[in-house]
Amino acid sequence: MKKNYLLLKRYGVALLSCAFLSSALFAAEETAPGVKEASEEEFTPAKEVVEVKFVQMDRPYHLDVDSLQGFFKDAKAVTVPLQKQDKAFPNGGGSVSSAEVKAIHDGLTIYFKISWSDSTKNARAIAVQEFRDAVALMFPLGAVEITPAEHFSPRMGDREKPINLWHWKADWEADLLVKGELEDVEVQYPNMHDDFNFNPYSAYYHRELITSIEVLSGGRAANNLLSQPGRGRVVEDLNAEGFGTLTTQAHQDVNGCSKYEDGVWTVIMYRSLITVDPHDVQLVPGGTTYFNMAVWNGGEQDRNGQKNISTQWHPATLERVAWQ
Amino acid sequence: MTLVHNWHLGRRMEYPYFESRPKRQFAAIFNTNRCIACQTCTMACKSAWSYNKGQEHMWWNNVETKPYGGYPQSWDIKTLKLIDNGENTWYTDEKDEKTSPYGVYEGDTIFEAASKKNINQWAVGYIPEDKEWRSPNIGEDVAKSNKADEYSSLPEHSRWFFYIQRLCNHCTYPGCLAACPRKAIYKRKEDGIVLIDQKRCRGYRKCVEQCPYKKPMYRGLTRVSEKCIACYPRVEGKDPITKGRPMETRCMAACVGQIRLQGFLDDNPKNPVTWLIRHDKLALPLYPQFGTEPNIYYIPPRWAPRPYLRQMFGPGVDEAIDKFMVPSRERLAVMSLFRMAQAIIFEYKIEEGPKVFETTIHGKKFEMFNDTVIGYGEDGQEIVRTTIEEPVYIRDPKHYNSI
Repeated sequence: MKKNYLLLKRYGVALLSCAFLSSALFAAEETAPGVKEASEEEFTPAKEVVEVKFVQMDRPYHLDVDSLQGFFKDAKAVTVPLQKQDKAFPNGGGSVSSAEVKAIHDGLTIYFKISWSDSTKNARAIAVQEFRDAVALMFPLGAVEITPAEHFSPRMGDREKPINLWHWKADWEADLLVKGELEDVEVQYPNMHDDFNFNPYSAYYHRELITSIEVLSGGRAANNLLSQPGRGRVVEDLNAEGFGTLTTQAHQDVNGCSKYEDGVWTVIMYRSLITVDPHDVQLVPGGTTYFNMAVWNGGEQDRNGQKNISTQWHPATLERVAWQ
Repeated sequence: MTLVHNWHLGRRMEYPYFESRPKRQFAAIFNTNRCIACQTCTMACKSAWSYNKGQEHMWWNNVETKPYGGYPQSWDIKTLKLIDNGENTWYTDEKDEKTSPYGVYEGDTIFEAASKKNINQWAVGYIPEDKEWRSPNIGEDVAKSNKADEYSSLPEHSRWFFYIQRLCNHCTYPGCLAACPRKAIYKRKEDGIVLIDQKRCRGYRKCVEQCPYKKPMYRGLTRVSEKCIACYPRVEGKDPITKGRPMETRCMAACVGQIRLQGFLDDNPKNPVTWLIRHDKLALPLYPQFGTEPNIYYIPPRWAPRPYLRQMFGPGVDEAIDKFMVPSRERLAVMSLFRMAQAIIFEYKIEEGPKVFETTIHGKKFEMFNDTVIGYGEDGQEIVRTTIEEPVYIRDPKHYNSI
């Protein structure tokens, strides 16, 4: 009995695998392994339009949330529903159900203000179990009209349908505030080299010796922006054309600021309407663009595909400039 | 998922990518019977690759005491629990030398457990917290014993511990590579070494989560993950010492106890590594049931309880220990190559010598011949020549008192 079972297990698996493979190959025309196909409604943009209001503003000296917040008072808020990412492995998210988006421009710069509820502030990613809070906006590259016929995926774009991504990270904001613009492991572990011993007066602690050694890091040698100190910004400018293709741009153009208060994150991301980078979305007053977004809740170990996403493109119309 | 063949498990199994074996596979054999846990390998690695800031907790190579040691703590127990479906047994009545030398594993691998549990991940896993990476030598030399007044006697000790030497297994089906959502991890076609692309890594820690051996490690300072690189410049022959020949890694070359032999798994039956693993089956994989086809092989410790060893090294344990205790003529010769050279040995040849010793071990006859074993490099040139009996040198009386 056992033998029969084994034979079935060994050769049956081969037979099954043939059947499975042929069906898998058939399905593979549309999707990669571990990726479920998108539904028709995902290719239809949301009805509610984000009106990017033209606001004549004296650009404040400090571009922080408190100084910028007032300019958004007449902008209409649009609530973007968010859900668990359930199409590409690894699936995850689902802890943030919606985010509020407002947008303005002053003829030179566009400002997106995004706020969402998050009961935990996670602004550090130094311990192995720590993940950052983050938010991202994505835009289709080129002059694209999003229609159901176009099949432009609202999830990371697609092959030959590239997107431009603006990714704000809570820990980059914290990095900006420290000397050298990168939070050191010492802020998390004051005496980490000594077996995570938190005793600051350890007999083995030779700070001068430790800090005199040049940091040897593959990430820094390879120019990975995440590893670099002194990035000078809190938003990463990226491109993607499908799951797993996210790539940091050589030229970084987006910046932002944030505030965490009473369990609510408020993030403002801003960029020049027009840039010289061909990999950036270009925003023209009077025109329409589309955007989609995702929110990561670090407290729930969100990162990469484990995130809260909107499954539809959202139109955004830029109001014409009317100088007074 | 696709179906790939895993010869450790003797069957096909699910994996996210197609089967693609390297031209030759980085591999090593560790003789756990000889290890004294001096940690020279650990420090050789540390001083080469992970001495820097943010790497304080990283030990790409470590030696831990079993059953209580573990770096990160309890890594193996935790992963074994994740794949446990109550039927993690082996069917060993039927074997095939090439495709199922140890029989067939009937339980779930880390990939199959994930797909059965429908968790929408490539593999089951967990992220060890920072406190679990502390105290890498926790449980060192702590023996397992059931009774306080128990004394040990051969062949199996009732009070026991042993050392297990660990580094990245450069698996044929790596859990880390499967887990990475952005394909930042790759396995080199030329030697099977698994690396993290430091430019593409975004510190998601999916590899930390889904490698069952917990060998990719997150570096908080640079916000990306790092792992053992198999000293690839040395393996490529870039170190001037071996004049262009592939060279063993830092941890292998530094082994004081001479427990390690590094090489490549290939099709050559006279390759010492291939012979010991595939033909003699003296060296066994670590936790083959995880399903990643790891490429560091172990000669199991002969005194530890067999059920524990079978869980750790699979059903080949009893045969391997019997073979180790009463080595054949060829086995003894090949085992003499351990730590005889820094350059990687690709082939061996034995020149027969006279019989020098004869005895009975556990009722079995053992004969020892003073054969000469020669190791050849990639280029076919002789690298090393040694005999079974170590040569004796008589020191000149005038040097009696000198070192």
